[in-house]
Amino acid sequence: MSPLSRRSFLGSATALIALPTLESIGFARLAKAAEVVKAPKRMVFLSMGWGVTKETWFPDRQQVGANYELPQNLQPLAKYKDDITIIQNLQNQFSTEAHWGSTFWLTGANRYGVPGKSFHNTISADQVAAEQFGRDTRFTSLQLTGRKADGHGPGASLAWNRQGKPMAGLDTPVAAYHRLFSDDKTPLAERQAQLKRRRSVLDGVIEDARSVQKGLTATDVDKLDEYFQSIREIEIRLSKEEEWLEVPKRFPQDPIKEPEASLQGYEEIKMMYDLMIAAMQVDATRVFSYRMPTDSLIQSLGATITSHNMSHYVQGDRQEVSENRDQTHAKLLASFIEKLKASKEIDGSSLYDNTAVTFGSNINSIHYLTNCPTLLTGGGAGVKHGRHLVMSDPKTPLCNLWLSLLNGSGVDVKSHGDSTGQIKELFV
Amino acid sequence: MKKGRPASFITLGLLACVSSAQPLAPSAEMEGIVHGVMPESHFEVLNNNCLKCHDSVEEEGGVNLEDLSFTMDSIAAAETWQRVLNAVNSGEMPPKDEDQLSAADKTNFLGDLSRQLVIARDALSDTRGVITMRRLNRREYENTIESLLGVKIDASDLPDDANPGGFDTNGSALFFSSDQFEQYLALGRHALDLATSTAKQPPLKKTRFEAEEIVAKEIHRFTARLPKAFNPSAIRDQFVSPKGLEMDYEVIGHGLKAENYRWLNHPEFFLHPDNATGAPLFNYFYEFGLPNITLPARSEGQKFIFRTRIALLHDEVPEHRRYIEFGAAPSGIKKGEMNVAGFRKITGTMDQPEIIEFEFIPSDDSAQIVRIRERHINSLNAAKQFFKAHSEKTDRGPPATLWVDWVEWEGPFATSGPVSSNPNLFVPQTAGQTKTQHHRAILEHFATRAFRTKAPSAAFIDRLMALYEEDVARGVSPHEALQEQLAVVLASPGFLYLNEPTFGDEHRGLTDPELAVRLSYFLWSAPPDEELERIAARGKLSAPTTLARQTRRLLNDPRADAFIHGFTHQWLHMERLDFFQFNYFKYPRFDDSVKEASRREIYETVKDTILAGRPIGELLKSDHVLINNLLAGYYGIADVDGEHFRRVPVPEHLPRGGLLGTAAVMAMGSDGERSSPVERGAWILRTLLNDAPPPAPANVPQLSRLADEVLSARDLQKLHQEEPQCAQCHRTIDPLGFGLENFNAVGQWRDEEVFEKIIDDLSTGKPRQLKTPVSIPIDPAGTLPDGTPFGDWWEFRDRMAEHEADIARGFTESLIEYALGRPFGFVDYNLADEIMAQAAADDYAMDAFILGVVQSPRFKLK
Repeated sequence: MSPLSRRSFLGSATALIALPTLESIGFARLAKAAEVVKAPKRMVFLSMGWGVTKETWFPDRQQVGANYELPQNLQPLAKYKDDITIIQNLQNQFSTEAHWGSTFWLTGANRYGVPGKSFHNTISADQVAAEQFGRDTRFTSLQLTGRKADGHGPGASLAWNRQGKPMAGLDTPVAAYHRLFSDDKTPLAERQAQLKRRRSVLDGVIEDARSVQKGLTATDVDKLDEYFQSIREIEIRLSKEEEWLEVPKRFPQDPIKEPEASLQGYEEIKMMYDLMIAAMQVDATRVFSYRMPTDSLIQSLGATITSHNMSHYVQGDRQEVSENRDQTHAKLLASFIEKLKASKEIDGSSLYDNTAVTFGSNINSIHYLTNCPTLLTGGGAGVKHGRHLVMSDPKTPLCNLWLSLLNGSGVDVKSHGDSTGQIKELFV
Repeated sequence: MKKGRPASFITLGLLACVSSAQPLAPSAEMEGIVHGVMPESHFEVLNNNCLKCHDSVEEEGGVNLEDLSFTMDSIAAAETWQRVLNAVNSGEMPPKDEDQLSAADKTNFLGDLSRQLVIARDALSDTRGVITMRRLNRREYENTIESLLGVKIDASDLPDDANPGGFDTNGSALFFSSDQFEQYLALGRHALDLATSTAKQPPLKKTRFEAEEIVAKEIHRFTARLPKAFNPSAIRDQFVSPKGLEMDYEVIGHGLKAENYRWLNHPEFFLHPDNATGAPLFNYFYEFGLPNITLPARSEGQKFIFRTRIALLHDEVPEHRRYIEFGAAPSGIKKGEMNVAGFRKITGTMDQPEIIEFEFIPSDDSAQIVRIRERHINSLNAAKQFFKAHSEKTDRGPPATLWVDWVEWEGPFATSGPVSSNPNLFVPQTAGQTKTQHHRAILEHFATRAFRTKAPSAAFIDRLMALYEEDVARGVSPHEALQEQLAVVLASPGFLYLNEPTFGDEHRGLTDPELAVRLSYFLWSAPPDEELERIAARGKLSAPTTLARQTRRLLNDPRADAFIHGFTHQWLHMERLDFFQFNYFKYPRFDDSVKEASRREIYETVKDTILAGRPIGELLKSDHVLINNLLAGYYGIADVDGEHFRRVPVPEHLPRGGLLGTAAVMAMGSDGERSSPVERGAWILRTLLNDAPPPAPANVPQLSRLADEVLSARDLQKLHQEEPQCAQCHRTIDPLGFGLENFNAVGQWRDEEVFEKIIDDLSTGKPRQLKTPVSIPIDPAGTLPDGTPFGDWWEFRDRMAEHEADIARGFTESLIEYALGRPFGFVDYNLADEIMAQAAADDYAMDAFILGVVQSPRFKLK
């Protein structure tokens, strides 16, 4: 069965699956995507969960524009001061959960927005980008996450799909490595047979889902739709695999070794950054999100307290742990920028030039949810870097930033979440 | 104040409702639902402090409070009130240059608003009794596989399904992702593989290690690494060589200086007459005890028996050093740590060593590494510190306390019979059936069982058979091909979801087989067994006497541990026990074994109270505790032998008995370093008094001048009272926590707290380092939320014991939520009242609540 007819089949399997426009079916052209002449755009979203140490992370609010002093905790980024932007006064207006640093970070949703439900979420910015950028690559998007969601709140990664349901993330560097670079050595014919078989399995479970669906209440049909939706996602994945079947997975020029299973904390995050670089170099995907671990990070730096205790810092040991964490993140990010800049694209530009990176959290610091810490880098969205921006409205929607970055990267959406418009200041 | 009790309905003439959200269609059932209502008394506050700018004319900042309804019956109204709360909490409003609220007004305003918002959120998100079809949560999935196939699998890679603020049985919070589908396929395949293949198991064998030979080997290893130069050793002449050991004593003498081998420098090691037949068990020996034991691969789910002949080295061994512990050390675990699986207390003496025995069941199919060591903190750092503390004084590590003759293991032993021949699962071939027909029959039968007696559709089986044919045509063996299709069944919605179709009705009565499923997932987190299925199939289960009998049978079955642990863990918010790394320098006695035992104590206490039909009030105050030998040692209770839990009377004057005297509850009410009266007070309000405080608010300025470790609980309270934003909740929370201040962060009794720094002036909050630590006596006096005072822990517990009806109400609401798989809602108020009334007539016997839920009409309704 060709992908098109299979998808039509799936579409008819349940009327409840809202299939998007059939653009995603036009995979046929993309196996040859290696022939691009212009480097593609990419987006990277990095959330640290718990907020920062506000006294030493944020620049002085009086010093705006290019002439600002880089605060203590961002000093490791000094070399790249002209390549970063710090923007203050962004927030998600509906956030009330003081320990949820990521659940609504990329969505801006109102947890209580739907009557009769105590939890509601909407699509995340990375997935909006993935709907467009994901068509031409082997993987639509890549979600990375630490094993524990300390300080991040509910969710399985930073990503929430079109239906506002959590999307799974790869929780170890080893898992990410295998997803990206492990090549199946099985002969082509056999892999084709396996693909066919996996589809038949989906046919089987869809058949059962249809009979389960009979007679269900509206709420239950809605619940079962998550199952249909998952099957559909696998369908799309299989179609892609089919398109890419004859294209072997590429390795970056500096081959990356299989990470050790025991990587924790600092080394684990460093390796995840390296894997993202490697994935960009071979254009495996163009949309990345990473929900970074904190407990294991601070413990790998020698702390004996938990990240929760760290986040409620007061002067003394806890604040030191919190600042050390901030500075380590800055150091890791600096090394990421360095590698982005060093990696050349097919058209002579660098990965840095074509990638829009956001580093931050929905939590400002301690229990504060206003002024979400936000640091931008990379040239992908056309942001004019090297500045410290303080928005005049202290309640500027974080979604205005997501809209700006999406639009700036070439994703043509009119709004995102509760956005009220682009942040023009970023580009002038 | 109880959540949602009817408050007076207030309408203010000038305040019109401005709802923009679509309210749910009204239903008769929801009439009279209680919405959050701001008391009219606060209108003055709003009028005096807000409306000057935020009226319908000015609408400063786009905020119009003049038209805001005091009844929060729409999402829009609740949202606006939330903004008011945020603005006042953060100090943003009223603006600094405007008139401010008096502290008392602000405290009361914020107190009422945050509480009413919680009520409003509950009312607005009320599911109206709708039970969302639920996916098996991770616990249920593992149990269901075990019940179906007879094998235990480790599904810990699946999401843990923890539901913040609710139970993991709430269908609407159980999501499904495409990655999960592939995990279910793989796990199902793996479980089937385990269940049907007996041939692959490694052969049964028995292996014994002699401790003295291990020591000899280790000393050889160590001497080989030493430089050639040496110092003659003083111990040369005294040295009693362990059996089979030939070595250069002089080299030994040199090597002993190397810190890593100071453990060798112990007289009992070299001079003990028994070291020719055994060896002292050193704390730092082989990184914590005996060498690693590697079990054969492919032993998953099989049982191994370990035995060791062991003794206390002398009579003076302190209580806490009389234990060994054992567990697995999988690859990737931090050096020096292990997953502690259990412990044993050693009572054998050098004259009469004892042989102790324990079981170990590997949880995955890779080669398993098992460790046995003296019980201590599960951390390399802690062990090093422990060692150093001794070596600084004595130039050698801590003296050994245990002596080991030998260790052996035997296995694997099958934990259950092979399932492949089980006719319940794999129907036998009947005469005249072709192999294909037989496989179809097996598939149908298996799917029916997997779908909890709901027959699969013929079209589904057709698909699977087509897949089967394809596989066989590809050269897969019929057996394997069949297995593949069975794995598909285990990833199908019919298996993964507890579905109760209504065919158009809003609510309908459950069929008996559906009732059986609901009952067994309530009490076992697993599917019905044969007896329950049989009774349900005959249509007898819903008869009240039968239902009561079956409920009791299920509760008394070991499988009910799934309910006891699963429910209690969530009801009592026990996740906090795993939030922290307890400071092992401060609390060396609170190691993993004690922590596990303290957790078990809570489970065993709840279980005993339910099974014995004792009053729920015993959770508040009791004259007995449910403990084992380890906890008895920890609590200082004599004459408790054996690691099983049992009811033990509390000795006079010992501050134990009831949840408020347990190590686990105290540890949960700490941050791993210090006791936290705030956490403890909030926990008491939430779980014991059924009066949960509003969630910790966002954006409230933290009292940042409070440094760690420098203020007594009471000084902290003074600061909490300073700011109305804090005082609104902390005036109720903190005084409850004071009653427990005599317990430190790990539940040990203390009369004073020790400080190394101090704040002289609360207004500046500057800590000053003290030359010598000071001790401040604990002041355990406080008040209950209704103002009832208490002077100390004993009085506190007595006053709490008067609140049996409150804990009973909380238990009832939680049970309803857990059993029905949806949040406790407005439609359940009457039900909770009825269950409470029935249980009250039975002296609040804890099992009466469970029976009450099961017998209620709602439990039998989709």
